[in-house]
Amino acid sequence: MSLFSALTVSATGMAAQRTRAALLVENIANSETTRTPEGGPYRRKDAIFTTQDVGSAFGTEMDAQLAGSTLSGVNVAGISVDTRDPEKRYMPGHPDADANGYVSIPRINPAEDMVDLVGANRSYQANVSAMSAVKDMIQKSIDLLR
Amino acid sequence: MIDSLTDSLEQYMNLVSLRQKLVASNIANADTPGYKTQDLDFQASFRSALDGGSPQAVQVSGLKTKNDGNNVDLDREARLLAENAMRFSVASNLMHSAISQVKEAISGGKG
Repeated sequence: MSLFSALTVSATGMAAQRTRAALLVENIANSETTRTPEGGPYRRKDAIFTTQDVGSAFGTEMDAQLAGSTLSGVNVAGISVDTRDPEKRYMPGHPDADANGYVSIPRINPAEDMVDLVGANRSYQANVSAMSAVKDMIQKSIDLLR
Repeated sequence: MIDSLTDSLEQYMNLVSLRQKLVASNIANADTPGYKTQDLDFQASFRSALDGGSPQAVQVSGLKTKNDGNNVDLDREARLLAENAMRFSVASNLMHSAISQVKEAISGGKG
């Protein structure tokens, strides 16, 4: 029963939160973007998290034998794209305005993204703390040999 | 390994590290929809481990479930993280002194 798999679990958590933070920052940066390669204004993106068993085949099998359970890490299963209609803003002089003078602006609430970003940051820090605590435990075990 | 005390210590450290792994897993999944907090019944697991049994992870009851079906409480996990690290530190220091005694005996007090 090795503690190293706990490090892997925390690493998956950090990677997932980093992906989420990257998407949130992208949303904030593109909150006024009216042109995208897919056509139309930018649409808000968010990460979808699922649990995922961690470890190599050998490690997983050994843990299952010893503890009767496997550990769950976290994985980004996909990226959800906002399908709501974009906001319409009356800007007749804008190059992307339609015949009536309305421009499609992404439906993004900066406050929502900022709050989620703080959440992602806090979760990331929690994973770093977990990794550091587990690392200290591994170091204590190694010190037994001195 | 050396005597019954170190055997118990070994089981204790195994259990604490298993619990720490569950805590790490809970923290990693703090934002996963539908995930339920996992933990050990420490007393029962320790008693069964001393008799050669293997510990079973259980879902924790009495936690507030959020709208997405997730019930991880980060403050609870942070507390357990610190507590487990300290418990492990105590056990590893005890183990270290037990090993040092044997080393001392082997070297005849000259080491």
